[in-house]
Amino acid sequence: MSADQSTVSQYRPTGSLDPASALSPYAGAWTPKLAAHLLRRAGFGGSSAEIDRASASSMNAAVDKLINFGPDDLPQSPDADLSYGKGVPPAKQRAANIAMQLWFLNRLLQTANPLQERMVAFWSNHFTSAVGGGATPTMLVNQYDLFRKFALGKFSDLTHEVASDPAMLYYLNGAQNNKKRPNENFARELMELFTLGVGNYSEDDVRESARAFTGWTVNRATGEARFVPRLHDDGTKTFLGQTGTFNGDDIIDIILRQPAAGRFVAHKILQAFVYDDPEPELVAAAADQFSSSGYDVRALMNTLLRSNVFYSPRAYRALVKSPLEVAIGTLKTLGATAVITPIDGAIAAMGQIPMHPPNVAGWPGGAQWLTQSTVLARLNFVNRVINMNRPAKTVGPNAGTTGAAAPGPAMSMASSTDWLGGVAMTDGAAVADRVLWLTVQGDATLSQRGEVISYLQTDGVGNPVTLNGENIDEKIRGAMSLAMALPSYQLA
Amino acid sequence: MGSRRQFIVQSVGAFAGFLAVDSIFSRAARAASGVYTAGSSAGRCLVVVNLQGGNDGLNTVIPYADPNYYRARPSIGVAQSEIVKLDADLGLNPNLADLKELFDAQRLAILQGVHYPNPILSHFRSTEIWQTAAPDRYVTDGWAGRYLDDAQLPANNLFKGVAIGPVLPKMMIADKTDVPAIADLRTFGFNGKRDEQRQADMILNGAADLYPFESPYLSLVQDVEHDAHAASLQLPQLVAGYKPAVEFPKTPFGQGLNLISAIVNAGLGTKVFYISLGSFDTHVNQRQRQDSLLAQFAGGMKAFYADLAVHKSDDRVVTMTFSEFGRRVEENANRGTDHGTAAPMFIVGGGVKGGVYGDHPSLTDLDFGNLKWHTDFRSVYATLLERWLGVSSTPVLGSAFPTLSFVS
Repeated sequence: MSADQSTVSQYRPTGSLDPASALSPYAGAWTPKLAAHLLRRAGFGGSSAEIDRASASSMNAAVDKLINFGPDDLPQSPDADLSYGKGVPPAKQRAANIAMQLWFLNRLLQTANPLQERMVAFWSNHFTSAVGGGATPTMLVNQYDLFRKFALGKFSDLTHEVASDPAMLYYLNGAQNNKKRPNENFARELMELFTLGVGNYSEDDVRESARAFTGWTVNRATGEARFVPRLHDDGTKTFLGQTGTFNGDDIIDIILRQPAAGRFVAHKILQAFVYDDPEPELVAAAADQFSSSGYDVRALMNTLLRSNVFYSPRAYRALVKSPLEVAIGTLKTLGATAVITPIDGAIAAMGQIPMHPPNVAGWPGGAQWLTQSTVLARLNFVNRVINMNRPAKTVGPNAGTTGAAAPGPAMSMASSTDWLGGVAMTDGAAVADRVLWLTVQGDATLSQRGEVISYLQTDGVGNPVTLNGENIDEKIRGAMSLAMALPSYQLA
Repeated sequence: MGSRRQFIVQSVGAFAGFLAVDSIFSRAARAASGVYTAGSSAGRCLVVVNLQGGNDGLNTVIPYADPNYYRARPSIGVAQSEIVKLDADLGLNPNLADLKELFDAQRLAILQGVHYPNPILSHFRSTEIWQTAAPDRYVTDGWAGRYLDDAQLPANNLFKGVAIGPVLPKMMIADKTDVPAIADLRTFGFNGKRDEQRQADMILNGAADLYPFESPYLSLVQDVEHDAHAASLQLPQLVAGYKPAVEFPKTPFGQGLNLISAIVNAGLGTKVFYISLGSFDTHVNQRQRQDSLLAQFAGGMKAFYADLAVHKSDDRVVTMTFSEFGRRVEENANRGTDHGTAAPMFIVGGGVKGGVYGDHPSLTDLDFGNLKWHTDFRSVYATLLERWLGVSSTPVLGSAFPTLSFVS
């Protein structure tokens, strides 16, 4: 069994792939919809202005801007007390966790380098770790900085780095893996989930490689990884058909010489960025390039983000947005400038606790994001955020009768009239089209568009309403909330 | 996918038409009218508890008379004096003391040495095997989902299966049945009243109409949004008459069982429930974590069956536990255990013939340090499908498996 088989799903797009041209550069029309598609996939969606800028340039210029990023000026770590562990009161530890999550979320929202942050999210869901069992928020922050540094670097370099990363040493019990009694947890997941996939190694390979990784611990005082030779098993190991006194780095090198490694990682990248259940021919083509480039992620993304398959109708809206994508994308659409509590908790209700994957396999994504509870949480999330910057006059006795969500903390974002972007407020159809462009780039059915127009032009019981300065704020918020409830809005 | 798409269109049609003429709750009343017939398998249901993460079976149901147990577990073995003894050889972890009463009342069956051919020590593949009942092939639906699709249950019932928690487990994934995953009844619904009706209309009207794109996920999103809207409006009304007779533990597991009891006692006709507890992945300091989780399990079960008994429903609810695998016989250097294979299952309820089934696997005749299984988990599923839920198990499991005698 291979990785490809283990992820068979019914969610491969219909139609057929042309393997010969799939990865060749796309030369078709560059439309605003495709610009928005690029920003959804290679980032967390675009604000109205970002979509306009990307579509006004060329496809190549838009991809260049995403790929060739420089250093950013956002904080490298949270500006907060991250004390954690024994002796720190639980309330302080909770605060440290929240500060860490908000730091991460704010980077996603505020970055000038959306692809870099998108890769941080990808790698953190690949090389999973979480706070707990010794791992502290500071270690997670440092680990995410590592993902940021290697965002588009060599996958091989990143794998070597991760193997001695303190958060990882705790998360998969590498810190407890010693010569006397090896702990197999990291060795197994390294092969199963990080590099090869089930079926490409044996139980003996797990046992032998666990011995090779022995000796790494974490210095509790400094939080840094260190290698303790006396805890390392320097005996002979036989691993994937080779025999030697291997250490962990040797094991990783042997793994990355397996053809299965290129296929496994290319499959995962295609699944995250292009579409679900990619054809074996597409995986093979991407894997060939990836392996022969020495696992150069930047080169692979350069190919993918300019490719025919990426801009094909088969890839368009073919993925389910993660809660992070819904949240950050919504905030960008609404012109929010910062992520504040309780947004972090609302993302968790959608099924994704930021920086806290459910288990070592990470969030599986796709259909798994869509349950009745999480879908309701998505609709509740947008409804809540849309109402987080309500002008003071609508908060009061009337707020309940309009059914608005209870006003939360003030949120810095664009006003509802900014969302209109200059469209004449009295023209219901024009307002509806503007709202549907902002939210789903016009990807609605005719009757859905009709519903938005009808909502804008009637009251709750069907009487005609004229849009004016008195009611426009309420009506735009309602229309945005409707548009973000559309099935299209859940698709990336 | 054809059948699923067809189902959506039909149910959308029915829902939309109904909205025009009546309030939402009359549909709920109809769904609730297809209630069970006492004494037949029609009213019976199954609760599946996933002890996720790989529960160490050896410290759950303990072969305390075997000295090899204490040899393999010098630091994490449970002392004989603490064990809740079931017979001269076997006992329960002391944190399972709440189960003893159910055992003595013959309402707890312990099935030993259960697993599947060619055990896999990966959490994810092994979990998938238990949930799909397909150890030898990859399938997209779950075993309970296949049962729900085939069981000829009323088509308008949105609660044929219910999963507790935000994630829909693979076990419940079906071709034609959309099982709600409910994390918490209090948050299962729209928080804003505004535009609720319109949101429903928006969601529904898209179905029969053309989108300017095609997506492999579009029909799934429509389906789940539609059913979430309908179910969240119905469920609070349907369970409003239920009052718990006991205090359920304040843990998420205890509260989840409370919701299951509410749905059972409201007579919604739900056939399969899913709830999980964990993580039991005890590579390090096992006793602390496993003991606390086992106590949560036993305390939850005790409250659940006490509540069902007061509501006179305990005879129609059988609970089955599973875990993706048991753990290595020999403890590791961190007072924990690594991934293993065979483990015991608990079957609880009024329809159960209590007792211990099957021998404890040998602690010395091992497979790379792991216990050898002797009972195929699909025999357990077949028994519950045939003898408890009253359906043929072959279409669900793909082939016939011998049934066991733990259902009376």
